[in-house]
Amino acid sequence: MLNIKNLHAGIDDKPILQGIDLNIKAGEMHAIMGRNGSGKSTLSNIITGRDNYSITKGSIHFDNKSIMDWTPEKRSLEGIFMSFQYPVVIPGVNNTYFLKAALNAKRKYNGQKELDAAGFLKIIKTILKELDMDMSFLQRPVNQGFSGGEKKRNEILQMLTLEPSLSILDETDSGLDIDALKIIAEGVNKYRSSKRSFLVITHYQRLLKYIVPDFIHVLIDGKIVKSGGKELALELEEKGYNWLDS
Amino acid sequence: MKLLDFQSEFEKVLDRKHFSAKVHPLREKAFNAFLDIGLPNRKWEDWRFTQFKNISQKFYKISEKKHSKITTFNFAEHNISDVDTITFYNGHYKEEFSDSIPEIQLLNGLEYLEHYNWKYDYPSDCPFELLNTAFMDSGLNIIIKKGQSIKRPIRFLIISSGQDELMVSPKIHIDIENNSSATFIEHHVGNSSDFLINTSIQIKLLENSILDHIRIQSNSSKTTNISNIKVDQSEDSHYNFFQLAFGSDLSRLNLDARLNGKGAECSLNGLSLSNKTQQLGSHIITNHYSPNCNSSQNFKNILQDKSSAIFNGKTVVHKDAQKTDSRQSNKSLLLSENALMNSNPQLEIYADDVKCSHGSTTGALDDDALFYLRSRGLNFLNAQNLLIRGFASELFDLIKHDPTRNFILGKFNNWLNKNVKL
Repeated sequence: MLNIKNLHAGIDDKPILQGIDLNIKAGEMHAIMGRNGSGKSTLSNIITGRDNYSITKGSIHFDNKSIMDWTPEKRSLEGIFMSFQYPVVIPGVNNTYFLKAALNAKRKYNGQKELDAAGFLKIIKTILKELDMDMSFLQRPVNQGFSGGEKKRNEILQMLTLEPSLSILDETDSGLDIDALKIIAEGVNKYRSSKRSFLVITHYQRLLKYIVPDFIHVLIDGKIVKSGGKELALELEEKGYNWLDS
Repeated sequence: MKLLDFQSEFEKVLDRKHFSAKVHPLREKAFNAFLDIGLPNRKWEDWRFTQFKNISQKFYKISEKKHSKITTFNFAEHNISDVDTITFYNGHYKEEFSDSIPEIQLLNGLEYLEHYNWKYDYPSDCPFELLNTAFMDSGLNIIIKKGQSIKRPIRFLIISSGQDELMVSPKIHIDIENNSSATFIEHHVGNSSDFLINTSIQIKLLENSILDHIRIQSNSSKTTNISNIKVDQSEDSHYNFFQLAFGSDLSRLNLDARLNGKGAECSLNGLSLSNKTQQLGSHIITNHYSPNCNSSQNFKNILQDKSSAIFNGKTVVHKDAQKTDSRQSNKSLLLSENALMNSNPQLEIYADDVKCSHGSTTGALDDDALFYLRSRGLNFLNAQNLLIRGFASELFDLIKHDPTRNFILGKFNNWLNKNVKL
């Protein structure tokens, strides 16, 4: 589904990613772990099309198509989604309006009929219940005055609404208490299927107890220095990252 | 237009047969005061950002009787449903194009001056107020009687139309008596050539009265629009002002609200949309003279192309105005690298037990927010539009009358469609 080869990228002249190879197949869940500044967020930003990075070498393919020239919206419409580490506040725009606009953009792109308010509400009600979210969420401006946990839940709400095939969860566990973490993990786990893939980016293995990955990659200084199964998380928890430094 | 040019036009006013000579002394007094002060220039603190060439390099003739004839005008285009309309055409009150509103008292012409026993008080510190008094085409006084609550908004449709380059000077007095309430819409329209529209509106709010004042500046983009609004508020009165401005080449809103009685409140709000080389200015003063008054100024600007805008906001808390609660905010969105915002929020406080805040921000659309929206599948244009709407939306929520709010939203959407592109 996602195939990254020898990716080198940075900001201005400062190299950040120095040769990333990553292959995520349909139905797989991969986790990337690493310290602050190792390049985790750069990688997720580049996959989703943030334009302030320069890519100097390598390729990114999604469903066998090169996505390097795609706009962020094209990537989203094709099925790539990122749950933001820091969801952005959009004052004056209520959540319903935003979610409906996003969902209808996607439906239009897929040649489906756009939903009216009633049709949209029917879909969103079920998802809200799954995430233990109140209907009042919909009337509030996007992320404004939301607690850390509410913002992250709002991201997962968007994921479940837009039904992407590749979901990147960027530090989704940060700022969450254990109850909120469990609810979000449940939402994600229910969403897992043989056609959907995930890339989970995290500092700690805490999240990986609830969302169990098939593969774990350790990112240090812009390179994947070690890959393994879910047990690698426990090893990292015990030993830290230092034993992997070259 | 130089002082001498104003002088020659003024002499024509005095010769006009259809105006009563009884008003001449009043006009002359104002005109002499104007000559003493002179036209503003960039050395005047409050005028230093205003592009004065619009006035100094042009010549405006007075609006004659022939200019007051409505031949062809598309009223339907400016229709707002569920309002009563009072029409002004090139400065002249047009009774035959106005609704009769039995609930209000309407005085015009000499009646209006007689009502004030000829003791007519006008602001004398602003040259354009003085010009308005010297050149006034029609005077109109609206009185909302004690205890009256007028539900249906009253609209002043101020039309500027025609090929001659005219100076028009409508004058309106509004008296809201004790325990009464009303909504006024000041609606500037018309496809005139280069006009100088110099309006004066004086509002008196007596005890416990409420006025919602909505101003729509949608007149021709060739005009200069100077608006002088003075509001005097007694105890526990409420004044709510909202303006949407997108018409005019140069415009200047001079709004002066005076909280004279304790417990009075005013909420002054505006949204200016400018493009090309327009300059839209908001010069807002709130004077707190009495204790326990609340006030807010919230002005936003959206600027495209090489346009510019001014926010010159001042809140003065005088020494007796203890327990004042005042807020002041100016936020501006630059859609072009060539647009210029002049923002000057000011606070002057002479009392010691007050709560005052003020702030100003100017910037382009937030890159993080744009990326966030695009990452959810919205294209660049839709993402921009959504952010701009979000920026403005809190102001539209202030308009309580649904048809008026929808009308204003329609104008806003039109502007966005024409001015926000890929």
